[in-house]
Amino acid sequence: MKKVFIASMIVCAVLVGSFFVFAAGKPGFDNKEIRIAQWGPQTGPAAPWGSVARGSGLLFQIVNDEGGIHGRKIKYFIRDDQYNPAQTKAVVKELVEREGIFAFVGGVGAACGMAVKDYLAQNKIIWVSPSTAIEEYVFPVNPYLFAMYTLYDDEASILTKYTVEKLKAKKIGFLYQNDAYGKSGLKGCKARLNAYKMKLVEEISVEPGEKDLSSQILRLKNAGAEVAVLWVNPTSAAIALKTAATIGYKPQWISSNTLMDFPLMNKITGGLWEGVITGGLGLPTHVDHPLMNKYRAAAKKYAPEERFGVFYTAGIMFAEPLVDALKRVGPKLSTEALLKQLNATKNFQGLGAVVNWSPTVHQGTDSIQILKCGPNSSYITLQDWTSNELATWKKKK
Amino acid sequence: MDMKRDYYEDVKLFKSGTILFWSAVLLIFLFTLPIYLPSYNIYLLNIIMVNVILAVGLNILVGYTGQISLGHAGFFAIGAYGTSLIMMHLHLPFVAAIILAALIAAFFGFIIGLPALRLEGPYLAIATLGFGLTIMHIIGRWDVFGGRMGITAPPLDMGIPGSAFSYVVQGDVKIYYVILIITVLLVIAARNMMKTRVGRAFMSIRDDDIAAEVMGVNLTIYKTMSFAVSAFYAGVAGGLYGFVVGFFDPFTFNLILSIIFLVMITVGGLGSIMGAIMGAMLITYLQYDLLKNVENLPYLGGLLTMVSKKWFTMIGLANFSSIALGLIMIAIVIFEPLGMFGIWIRMKKYWKTWPF
Repeated sequence: MKKVFIASMIVCAVLVGSFFVFAAGKPGFDNKEIRIAQWGPQTGPAAPWGSVARGSGLLFQIVNDEGGIHGRKIKYFIRDDQYNPAQTKAVVKELVEREGIFAFVGGVGAACGMAVKDYLAQNKIIWVSPSTAIEEYVFPVNPYLFAMYTLYDDEASILTKYTVEKLKAKKIGFLYQNDAYGKSGLKGCKARLNAYKMKLVEEISVEPGEKDLSSQILRLKNAGAEVAVLWVNPTSAAIALKTAATIGYKPQWISSNTLMDFPLMNKITGGLWEGVITGGLGLPTHVDHPLMNKYRAAAKKYAPEERFGVFYTAGIMFAEPLVDALKRVGPKLSTEALLKQLNATKNFQGLGAVVNWSPTVHQGTDSIQILKCGPNSSYITLQDWTSNELATWKKKK
Repeated sequence: MDMKRDYYEDVKLFKSGTILFWSAVLLIFLFTLPIYLPSYNIYLLNIIMVNVILAVGLNILVGYTGQISLGHAGFFAIGAYGTSLIMMHLHLPFVAAIILAALIAAFFGFIIGLPALRLEGPYLAIATLGFGLTIMHIIGRWDVFGGRMGITAPPLDMGIPGSAFSYVVQGDVKIYYVILIITVLLVIAARNMMKTRVGRAFMSIRDDDIAAEVMGVNLTIYKTMSFAVSAFYAGVAGGLYGFVVGFFDPFTFNLILSIIFLVMITVGGLGSIMGAIMGAMLITYLQYDLLKNVENLPYLGGLLTMVSKKWFTMIGLANFSSIALGLIMIAIVIFEPLGMFGIWIRMKKYWKTWPF
């Protein structure tokens, strides 16, 4: 009994102790380091997206190896929020108030980001390249938030243009997930079709957890859609393709960049992904491009166990403009100086599209590439970076 | 010392002056806590208190009445959405909105309580599980609720929103006081209820429902009441949660959350209010703070990171956090069936009988 008592007292003491021990709120940098952080699901239902946060880490590792930024090394923090907004807020507060963070980068999860967006702005902490496309992030302009993820409306619009003009499709059907992501895709597609005075032959919603899509696919088939656009999550897409295969429906599938991980998609569809056209947010992972080669070599060295996939390189891509702006700031670092340089980002290009930020527009791009899944999950680039001339947000200003 | 001479001594809220005194000291400590703690910890405390309210409510159902619920995230969601939407659309003050939302949750609890009259154990677990999932999907489907995108909680307004009588509570510290007052009230209410007729009826149902019925306990009333009360607590907790986090979507209220709630009361101690409080505190603290910062612990952090990288996936320590949470649960259930409450009782006895 005595032992248990003493043991539990020690446990309590440790818990209470660690509760009270904290460093006072520090600025996000000093002469030796710049503290940058990212949240991302490392465990839990969304864990596969966790590689985004680890990808950004690789870029910072490379930067540090090259001597850091004007003598300062980047100290990078990743926190697991399990895709739960309450935990995101907890880890962000903890990082900001206990560690002192200069800037956040990336950040998976729409709800997770929404939960901390205002907190970050109030504390004047810069947040670069959230890993989701949400209009509320940057419209109206949030002075501390810079987005480079192409909005889903723009992507769908560009893909639809390609479908109508290059594929000469007359009958297009649209299968969308019943949430903000699916609906913005639908909106973009319809806006483009309106310009051609065309209409979708069928628009069908899918609930994210739905396991049986046979009625939806049958409706697409009966409507005679030669092109079927998928704006759904990977699982639903796999179910859709398998269902279509069993009923002998073979449209040209088109999908968003969230499904551009061809090896993964081929794995879960059992090889049915070949021939699917998707948007591309960043360069495919195997291309022979000087930057991609450099990152691939670095990944082999620092994270050999990591799959060099699309999410991982997306993490690198999201961090690139921040590193670029930090380099331009020079040795006299401050939040204001970095904001000034971020706002002056002109035609910056890393793995992704060309990024432009100005004090009035914080949506960095409206461009995507168009990719096709070739044999053995290879990437065929159908169309290089294309911007959406119909983008409504560009006219707003 | 613990001998009771009449009924009123048994139902007294505080057994002795000493307990009353120390309770008062604790209360004063809690009220002055923001003075000693930095803001980040206040946020954590807010989440902890929300979970305390929920765990106390869940323990009334699971620990005292012996029913099971895998759907408490559903009641939690009703509370969160209900409070925010009522404030946004009906412009009611916060207190009225949260009570109304909690009553809606209680109504749903009552509805779920009806099948519980016939269902037991695993069957009831499945029924409640279905309820929790249904709520999540219904909320996601309807645009009134903000759909899957979720909604931003309105300002926490004590007066009438958008009028001259508006008084907005802002910042973690002020919200802390609001939640603290509600938590204290609800915990005292729960303790009071468990000491009186209703509580005894609940416990008799838990121990043997047939015997309870024979003795005159109306199963229909008390079982559904237990569900309703528990759902009411969950509703209040949900309403507060919305303001603590500021933004929520349907996925926040998933099955895992319901299970974590059950973990809290099992680890803390079934059938005790103290246990529910301790369990909620420990699990929330582990989940939100300690397990995320294991890396920074001296020696242990480095060792664990190495082990995790070598033997698990490259995610590193995040792996270990889930494992640690699981191990703590298993260890408590095996070695301490009464939960942390059991440890507490032993500590109390040790002091009382010291030095023997």
